[in-house]
Amino acid sequence: MNCEVCSLKELEVEHFEIREVLRCILHTIVFHRALGLVRPKDIDSELFEITYVQCGDAELEKKVEEKINQFIGWVEKHPNKKSQICLSFYEVKSKQPTWFSNKPERVYWEQWHINLNVQHPKAHTIKSHHSKVVVDPGVSALEERTVRRAALEASLREVLFQIIKFVNEKKDHIPPIPNIEGVTFPYEITLPSSSDSSFGMDMFKRMLQTGHPGMLS
Amino acid sequence: MGTSSEPAKIEQIITEFFAKSLHIILESRTQPCSSSRNNYSGEQTLLSSPSSSSSSSSSVRPRDKWFNLALRECPASLENIELWHQSNLEPMVVDVLLFQRGPVNFHDYGAEMMKKDKVIERWVVKYETRKSGRDFGHGGNKRNPPSATSHSLYKKSIILLRSLYLTVRLLPAHKLFHELNSSGQILTYGLAHRVSTLVEPFTRREEVETKEFVFTPVDTTCGRLCLSVLYSPALSDVNSEPSTPVSPQFIPDYVGSPTTDRLKSFPSLPLARFRSHEIPSSVPFERRHSWSYDSYGSSAPPVSGFPSPAYSDSRGFSYNPSSHRLPPLSIPSHQSETPRSSNASLATRNTNFDDFWPSPMPSPTPSPSPPAHLKSKALLRSGSAPVSIPTTGNPAMRNIHVATPSPPRGTKMGPSQSSNGRNLTRARDVNPALKYEKMNSFGKDEVGNISGAKASSGISPRISFSRSSSRFSSQDMFDYSDFACPFAVGDDITDPRPGPDLSDGKAHHTEPRGQVRKSQDAAVGALVEMLSTAPPLRQDISKSIKLSQVSEPEIWGRNAEEPAVTLEYGAGGLSNSSCNVNITSSGLLLSKTTADALEEFQSYRQLKESLLLRNGNDGTSTNAGHASETADKS
Repeated sequence: MNCEVCSLKELEVEHFEIREVLRCILHTIVFHRALGLVRPKDIDSELFEITYVQCGDAELEKKVEEKINQFIGWVEKHPNKKSQICLSFYEVKSKQPTWFSNKPERVYWEQWHINLNVQHPKAHTIKSHHSKVVVDPGVSALEERTVRRAALEASLREVLFQIIKFVNEKKDHIPPIPNIEGVTFPYEITLPSSSDSSFGMDMFKRMLQTGHPGMLS
Repeated sequence: MGTSSEPAKIEQIITEFFAKSLHIILESRTQPCSSSRNNYSGEQTLLSSPSSSSSSSSSVRPRDKWFNLALRECPASLENIELWHQSNLEPMVVDVLLFQRGPVNFHDYGAEMMKKDKVIERWVVKYETRKSGRDFGHGGNKRNPPSATSHSLYKKSIILLRSLYLTVRLLPAHKLFHELNSSGQILTYGLAHRVSTLVEPFTRREEVETKEFVFTPVDTTCGRLCLSVLYSPALSDVNSEPSTPVSPQFIPDYVGSPTTDRLKSFPSLPLARFRSHEIPSSVPFERRHSWSYDSYGSSAPPVSGFPSPAYSDSRGFSYNPSSHRLPPLSIPSHQSETPRSSNASLATRNTNFDDFWPSPMPSPTPSPSPPAHLKSKALLRSGSAPVSIPTTGNPAMRNIHVATPSPPRGTKMGPSQSSNGRNLTRARDVNPALKYEKMNSFGKDEVGNISGAKASSGISPRISFSRSSSRFSSQDMFDYSDFACPFAVGDDITDPRPGPDLSDGKAHHTEPRGQVRKSQDAAVGALVEMLSTAPPLRQDISKSIKLSQVSEPEIWGRNAEEPAVTLEYGAGGLSNSSCNVNITSSGLLLSKTTADALEEFQSYRQLKESLLLRNGNDGTSTNAGHASETADKS
């Protein structure tokens, strides 16, 4: 099975914007992979003039929020780093236990790489809070921020369209709709772990599992 | 999907796909309130607000199971989809229209209002059947066997519809839809939709303004399912920028519509563009006027002839709190004429009526052609048009703008005089080379004389008045006796300038500029002195005048390029053509409003032109004479 990889355009975000940006992106992707019966829920982004759609699945929302929190925690420990979040969809295939793992095998058929470049505003520190309200010292700074925000919003919109295009262009690799309770295909959200090496290890493991290392590019 | 055969399943999927797409689109584009206006059919039930969305509803209706997408009720889509249950072969075109709302009280208003709108989104769902097996029969099928099955089609349709669901929310129209819904008040604008099988072609301008997003088609065994959208990318301005400056170009229609002939047609109505076939064309016109007469009849503005109907209108509207929405009704009319982007025009639509206040529109007619019309009206009818003048795009008017600031500097004799010399040389540039030398010497002398004394005056916008000054000076030569009279007037005004300037003796050059009143004595003296000491110039002048007559058309032709020159030249032209005209008239020019100046300028221009015409006739006749002579000789 093919593992399609979509690497999304990198977004330059400030710390407080991470959450909303990730919500938009993750839910948009998952919505396209939630092929079970969904009752879509429109969400107006708190920061951007963007309406994205959730599947209306509490479990899913919870997991996404969890992952976002983890990621924000990671970013605070690793400031000024480009970071990638990986959302992968897989099929579970029960196979004979191997020397490597006894678990049922996960066959990844799609991966989304969300690339964020977290930047820190010059004027103030962001360590203490995730607050969305940031006080700027001057009007010019405010204007600058407005401009920057608008740019980010445009880029985010672009990324969402990138997702839409991708899901429509690549459809043949999608496995049959699973008859499971969850609305979506099985998925996992991978964050850079506390050390880059272990993140690499993670990837390495997955390559072994899927048997398609080339697809991970 | 049951047990039916594969082709039947596929057909059913396609049918349901049409229905679902329509549902998705209309669900997020039809407004919950004032529904009767949203639909041409005039029927639409209330919808819950989009933010409360569908998560609240509990039961899963059979329709929701299709494509595993549960949507809110949307009766509009149910009505419209009946068509496509008959045949999948017709494309489904869903136009989302932005319309301007009229008075809320008219409930028979729906259809008419539809005329005043703009297609902001056009969704096209179609099923393209392939020519038997040509590119699909083996190619597509072999290459991609799963795509043919109904299961695969269904799965892909689900994804496509998910994308559609999202895209509908990402496009600018959704933000607009959201704003229209979320604001509690009745707004100027509303969204409507039109479902048809026909693609009404966009105008070229509309095409330019729209963007297209095409979803990757879904292949089936015998065709493919296509979904695309054309949309206006710049809608976001509609409600978010209420203070968008309004170009006066838009106003004549608005101003004119309530005040003038009700039956007068509005050639630029955009509505005619869209759906003239759907609704009798007379309806919108009636409606168009009715907003002032019907709902605000008590304040119906006076009919044409009123110098500034815009004000009277606006007063009338301001009585009613909601009236501010009405004026923009006429705005779109100009869209078809002006190459503005939809962005701008939409933004303008949004403006409240208050925004129209600052720009009084002297034109009382509903004529949609603003610039020329506006210009003439402003000039001829309105005595208080200063405001409107600068706003016109006419170069001649801008000239005035440029020229007016110069007078203060003109009061200093230096610049105007030194420029005088420059004038002449300048004029000479235009003139045939023949007389160049003599003129040049004249100019140089002048400059030489004056510049020393006026060194303090510094640099000034001489170019703007230079030409007129030169003309005056040449006039002076001929009719200096007449100039004495105007100078005698207004001695009482003190000259703010230091004495030396006056004693300089060249003051007469400034007089045409208008600050004449100062130092008339000195001016007269200077004039007399200059005239008396300038016998050789007489010849030059006469020649130069002749030359200038020849070159005048050329100069006029250059007006557009040298805007600053125009007014002054025109003023000079007046005195040129009617030498004895009170010179202060041109002086007054500067103290009057620009409107007056324009008016004067216009009359001067007429005089000049008639003179030119005469001169031209003379010239041609003499030329003809010469020609015949030479012909005879040969």
